[in-house]
Amino acid sequence: MPDPAAIHSTFVLERRYPRPPERVFAAFADADRKRRWMGESDSHTVEKFESDFRVGGGERMRYRYGVDTPLKGAAITSEGLHLDIVPDRRIVIASNMAFDHGPRFSASLVTFEFFAEDGGTLLVCTHQGAFFEGADGPDLRKGGWEALLARLAAETTR
Amino acid sequence: MPLRQPDPDRILTALGDPTRRSIVEALSTSPASVSHLAGATGVTLTAIGQHLQVLEECGLARTEKTGRVRTCRLAPEGFAVLEAWITERKSLLERQLDRLGEILAEDNE
Repeated sequence: MPDPAAIHSTFVLERRYPRPPERVFAAFADADRKRRWMGESDSHTVEKFESDFRVGGGERMRYRYGVDTPLKGAAITSEGLHLDIVPDRRIVIASNMAFDHGPRFSASLVTFEFFAEDGGTLLVCTHQGAFFEGADGPDLRKGGWEALLARLAAETTR
Repeated sequence: MPLRQPDPDRILTALGDPTRRSIVEALSTSPASVSHLAGATGVTLTAIGQHLQVLEECGLARTEKTGRVRTCRLAPEGFAVLEAWITERKSLLERQLDRLGEILAEDNE
């Protein structure tokens, strides 16, 4: 049997935040704020983060991973589109991900639903993805975890 | 005893045993003597000693003899490896949503 051309997967994540929906929603609506939680990380630098928050507005990112991470200095790009926005209630974004100058490895539809709950927010995030060849970055990740473990062990057992 | 390299396989195997988990739970409150652990878990001193050796070997606990008392405490090394392993298994989206929570918590308007 031939390998499938795409693997499909759906998962749902829930988070509760002690802030009202309008505050949580604002962290998506403002590109600078969104960059802080979605883009920034200790494991990569943000080379590009553009988010045009309106229906039909695009989202473009490029992250460069550190040479000492499992992705070993590679860059990952994402191009997306806001498909639906209902203030304080719902955001739907479609996007792909690719290794820079390389093949795309996934495409996804992500729906964020905001629910008021006890003065805070229940955020329900549904990720529906199609994953292509190399989606788990086997070549790039190979040995990456072992290297991370070894570094950690070296650091903690000095 | 020199600490061996924390290894997720050994850590998860060690934590697969309910008695060892109850030792870890007891030690998470405060360090304790071997005899106190034996009393708290209802296990013989000999068995406690064997369980502690397993926990020590995978970096989850340390013991130290002061005078006639052997004191046990949790070691951060094994837990750091376990935590890193779990973090690595989380999806990008999960890490981002955790980060969103941190950013929202920083807002103090």
